Amino acid sequence: MIEFFNVSVQSKNKPLLKQVSLKIHKGEFVYLIGKTGAGKTTLLRLIYMDLFPTKGNVIIDKYSSSNIILGQIPFLRRKVGVVFQDFKLLPDRTVYDNIAFALRVIGFKRREVKSKVLNILTQVGLNHRRYHMPELLSGGEKQRVAIARALVNEPFILLADEPTGNLDPDASKSIIELLERINKSGTAVCMATHNYDLIKNAPHRTIVLENGEIHYDLAPENLHKISELK
Amino acid sequence: MNLLLFFKEGLIGLKRAKLSAIITIISICLSLSLIGIFTLLGQNLKDIFFRFYKEIEIEVFLEPDVTDQQISRIESTFHRFSELKSARFISRSEALQEFQKIFGTDISGVLDENPLPASFRLIMKSDYSTPAEVEKIAKQISDLAGIQEVIYQKEIISFIHKYFNISVIIIGLLAFTLLIVITILVFNTIRLTIYARRDIIQIMKLVGATNYFIKGPFIFEGMLQGLIGGGLSLILVWLTTKLVKTIIFPELSISTYLYLFIIGLGVFFGLVGSYFSVNKYLKYQ
Repeated sequence: MIEFFNVSVQSKNKPLLKQVSLKIHKGEFVYLIGKTGAGKTTLLRLIYMDLFPTKGNVIIDKYSSSNIILGQIPFLRRKVGVVFQDFKLLPDRTVYDNIAFALRVIGFKRREVKSKVLNILTQVGLNHRRYHMPELLSGGEKQRVAIARALVNEPFILLADEPTGNLDPDASKSIIELLERINKSGTAVCMATHNYDLIKNAPHRTIVLENGEIHYDLAPENLHKISELK
Repeated sequence: MNLLLFFKEGLIGLKRAKLSAIITIISICLSLSLIGIFTLLGQNLKDIFFRFYKEIEIEVFLEPDVTDQQISRIESTFHRFSELKSARFISRSEALQEFQKIFGTDISGVLDENPLPASFRLIMKSDYSTPAEVEKIAKQISDLAGIQEVIYQKEIISFIHKYFNISVIIIGLLAFTLLIVITILVFNTIRLTIYARRDIIQIMKLVGATNYFIKGPFIFEGMLQGLIGGGLSLILVWLTTKLVKTIIFPELSISTYLYLFIIGLGVFFGLVGSYFSVNKYLKYQ
């Protein structure tokens, strides 16, 4: 489903990723951990092809970074949902419109938009907040809206770049619970974080990145090898 | 359906980035007004020029002893000149009547005989009204048998022609410079508008909107700004025309096409400006 073959990314004089090879299978839940600058965001950007490898190849579904044409990238992104630490919501639109926007700009009809948006809002538990503006929401609720927007087009994978970075522990916990629920329904989740407590409480496959290299790629039962998780 | 979305998003965009939209609209309005005024100036200058040139006359005086046969030969020669619009024969007695009409004096009472020669009054076609063409024709005519003298306003024609050409070049250069300035100005202000809304572009790209969908609302917004700017400019040009007509120059004429041209140019600038700005932004991204 997602495969990295000896992927290196070089930015000016600094290597961002070095010879990374990995596979993320259908319906998997994967944590990416590592210090700032370890290469977590670079790895995620390679998946939604916001960045291309300097060397190696990334395969996402039927698309390959080595031969994808620019016109195909939007179609790849419809299969990959992305959420960020800063939510990236449109401040002048309601919760409903923020989510509906993601469908409208890819050509969905009004009726389809409505049913899909109401359905996803129910899934993330925000149906009662659909007419509220983002400024009236808590951090956790904003992140739920961002997740709903990422999921509304039913992607096969959800990429989350530090989704709990701006949230308090309780909100972070509820976001992880939501992500696990999403994962159980069949969507793969790849989440970059450096919140080890979250991983302890909800263990999944964890890839540890250091200076652009994969230091560990551990199954949930082997997480004790990471000193911070002992 | 997409058009409706583009239109709706374009309107939202205008509302979101009010200040930059206002700056763009004002830039378009002022630039178009200047272009409109220059066009108006050029058009009226041309009208005045052609009004004068339509009436370029060459007077051809005939020898006193010219025969009727020679006159009709000369007349038929004139008809063969494609540069001439008309050729009217004025007999000696007609010339005398005209003289009396203009000066109010009956010279036949003073002199024993009519001293005025018969003549032809030729009018040039406006296409051939350049000093060189008029001079060429005058030379050809003076070489004909039975012609005594060929007279036309050589100095005035040369003077007006020279200054008309200079004015056209100056107005043309100014309008061209203005066109370049307005293009850069509109392009940059629209670019700022787009930059101010990079978040929405980023979201559109993330959720998989194609470039066509991303560009659509911005192009609509640009066209809308151009339309509003053009509309305001139209009002400004109309008011200026009214003012000039009332106070300075009542003969000032304005074509309805100029108004259409201003509006069309506004929409065109908005469209091209936004198209290239959003393209450049997406390419840079």
